[in-house]
Amino acid sequence: MKSQTAEKKYLPEMPQKEIDEANASVKSTSEKIMVDNIERMKKTDPNRPAAMKYFDDISNFFGQRKEEIEAEKAKGRKVIGYFCIFAPIELILAADAIPVRVNSGWYDTSKFGDRVVPVEVCPVIRSTIGAKMIGLSPYLELSDAVISTLTCDGMTKLSEILSDATQIWTMTPPRVKDSAQSLHLWKEEIKSIKTQIEKLTGNKITAKKLKAAIETMQKATKAFRRLQELRKGNPVIMGRDAMLVNQMSLWDDITRWIQKTEALCDELEKRAAQKAWACPPDTPRVIVTGTPMFWPDNWKLPSLVEEATPQGVLVGDELCSGDRILYDPVGIDEWTMDDMINGIAERYLMASTCPCFTSQDGNEDRINWLITKVKENNANGVIYYVVRGCMLYAMEYARVKRALDKLSIPVYYLDTEYTREDVGQMKTRVEAFLEMLSARVDF
Amino acid sequence: MYEPLVGTILGWIVAVGIALAGLLVILIWKKDRTRKLSYLRLFIQMVSLVGLFYSFTLSLWLMVFVIVIFGLTFFSGRFFCGWVCPFGFYMDIVSLIRQKLGVKYWMLPDRVNRALHWLRYIIAAVILISPLLLGALNFVPASQIHALFLRGPYRPYAILLSPLEPLVLPFTGAIADLGFFDWSISYPYARDIIFYLDVPQVTSIIIYVFVALTLAATFMFRRFWCRFCPTGISIAAANRFNGLKWMPLLHINKVEEKCTKCGICKRVCPVQVTEVYEQKGGNIAPSTCLNCMRCIEMCPYEGCLKMNLAGKTLIESRNWLEPSDVK
Repeated sequence: MKSQTAEKKYLPEMPQKEIDEANASVKSTSEKIMVDNIERMKKTDPNRPAAMKYFDDISNFFGQRKEEIEAEKAKGRKVIGYFCIFAPIELILAADAIPVRVNSGWYDTSKFGDRVVPVEVCPVIRSTIGAKMIGLSPYLELSDAVISTLTCDGMTKLSEILSDATQIWTMTPPRVKDSAQSLHLWKEEIKSIKTQIEKLTGNKITAKKLKAAIETMQKATKAFRRLQELRKGNPVIMGRDAMLVNQMSLWDDITRWIQKTEALCDELEKRAAQKAWACPPDTPRVIVTGTPMFWPDNWKLPSLVEEATPQGVLVGDELCSGDRILYDPVGIDEWTMDDMINGIAERYLMASTCPCFTSQDGNEDRINWLITKVKENNANGVIYYVVRGCMLYAMEYARVKRALDKLSIPVYYLDTEYTREDVGQMKTRVEAFLEMLSARVDF
Repeated sequence: MYEPLVGTILGWIVAVGIALAGLLVILIWKKDRTRKLSYLRLFIQMVSLVGLFYSFTLSLWLMVFVIVIFGLTFFSGRFFCGWVCPFGFYMDIVSLIRQKLGVKYWMLPDRVNRALHWLRYIIAAVILISPLLLGALNFVPASQIHALFLRGPYRPYAILLSPLEPLVLPFTGAIADLGFFDWSISYPYARDIIFYLDVPQVTSIIIYVFVALTLAATFMFRRFWCRFCPTGISIAAANRFNGLKWMPLLHINKVEEKCTKCGICKRVCPVQVTEVYEQKGGNIAPSTCLNCMRCIEMCPYEGCLKMNLAGKTLIESRNWLEPSDVK
């Protein structure tokens, strides 16, 4: 809500007509893509769980959820967006605001972002800039403020660029997690964001409210983990469906999301008992790690893996847009304000496996997370997904490969762009990898 | 005169308390998985309080307890401190009250904490040497030197405040009962020093100061006394020498891969043990660890932290968000 008179530092002036046209065209393409993605998901698993219907509906960016948030906003509730999953959701909920994640997954908006930053920049960043320029993302537009955690270089400058058009609150995560001074810095950041949230919403975050918020999020973690637990055995749900459910927790009303996810898990448990698998149990099991993938456009890789011949199934991922979103609970020893703030600070900083961290052992937290995931989910192979320009993930590939080589788990480095043009070429690459995996499974 | 009466009253209070605590455990058992082990521990502490209370009033040799407890710490670490010690129980109750009042606890800087760990050795040395010195000062006949180590009748309430009552409490015995030869054993600490000062008023003042200080310190810092209580040094000794590394049989075990370093174990530890968080994996037996298993209880990752007894897993961390243990 910056005053319109302020001089823009980055964003170019665009005529309103062009904005409207671009918005309309990208929006209509996007709507088609969302429908198409869901159709393809239904086709892959003809026996798709009935509970997925809800998530299909809510996944529409321009549909039900948008209207709900608009209605809540009209009642005076504030909407707080965030980019990285470092933003303390509990504090936002405790202040009775609505948290939404506003990273962009639209391919088409990245070309507008190209007008501000060069194409070498990470497409997630470019696409988000573009989405803001043409006012595409409803959640970004509805946000009264956006919490931006300065994790990678892209995020750092993105918050600067977007502050031309919206109110941005930055949080600086330390690059080394394991020291007293890092934690101290981060706790201060959390406290300052708390003050800002209180100021914006006008609601004081009391210990009682915060406790309720933490307990809600713990329930969400419980439902979330239950779903991931079900992916460990023979596939009862296709990876894409699970990914969609995971990602909807970023936008949906969390209490409702918990109910619906628990209902889905109930259904899946029944299926597991009936041995009604979503795909043959000997399908190669794949885990994806790397750059986050966002609904709706960037559903390229999961679709390719699960529609390929031979088919693969995504049994897990190590993505901050996937299995990492709600995996870690806030553990509270004593329900005092101080301990709750400490608990929140530690959960968001220390349990994170973002590659922006470094340590003497080479960011071993991420490696350990991945190894546990591979072992527990019995993965046959790992796809290391990187979009061009995502430096941190690209650079950590060698480290991850070496760790997984020790377990003789094949890793495949797949780099791509925010574009649909390389789908054919990617298909060949993915199928070759899956071919190799299924040969190993047979063997 | 009044001792049997006090004993009976205390006995009743404790019996009712146990019943209530048992009820509490059952109530908590199914609900909150992050609390049930803690409440079970409080329950066991209470039961052992009764046990100790009766064995003490039966005038058993406390020295036997002292030796058994010290001996056990070589093998089981400070299991006694976490699960049995009445003084620890008292501190846990103080913490619980503070928690209910919504007051935050303070953390000692790691450096101070480490310094306090060294203080344990000094305290232990003072305890061991002081009877001999006092004996020398007072010309106790050589045949009665042992009486300095083993003396003093036990007041029932003393148990409430003392881990190894004689180690800690500047209290009881010597003043009330001047006989050296009653075998209701004691072990000299501050109390006997006070006794030799021979000024009763000073004694009572020191007693109140002691109680007030422990109360205040425990209110601010969880399990404050445990940070420099010398009971745990035997395991420190066992860990230090290569030939004795086999001795601690009770270990915390950590699986490195499952740990995300979320830091919960470090934060919930009542004596601020950092080794569980810092060490990469494998067996961890820090000499200050009380084996209260709070870290294991709070660790949200299935099978990441375990309590092992001679290689067998007693208890392991699990996803405490789930209400049931169904696998």
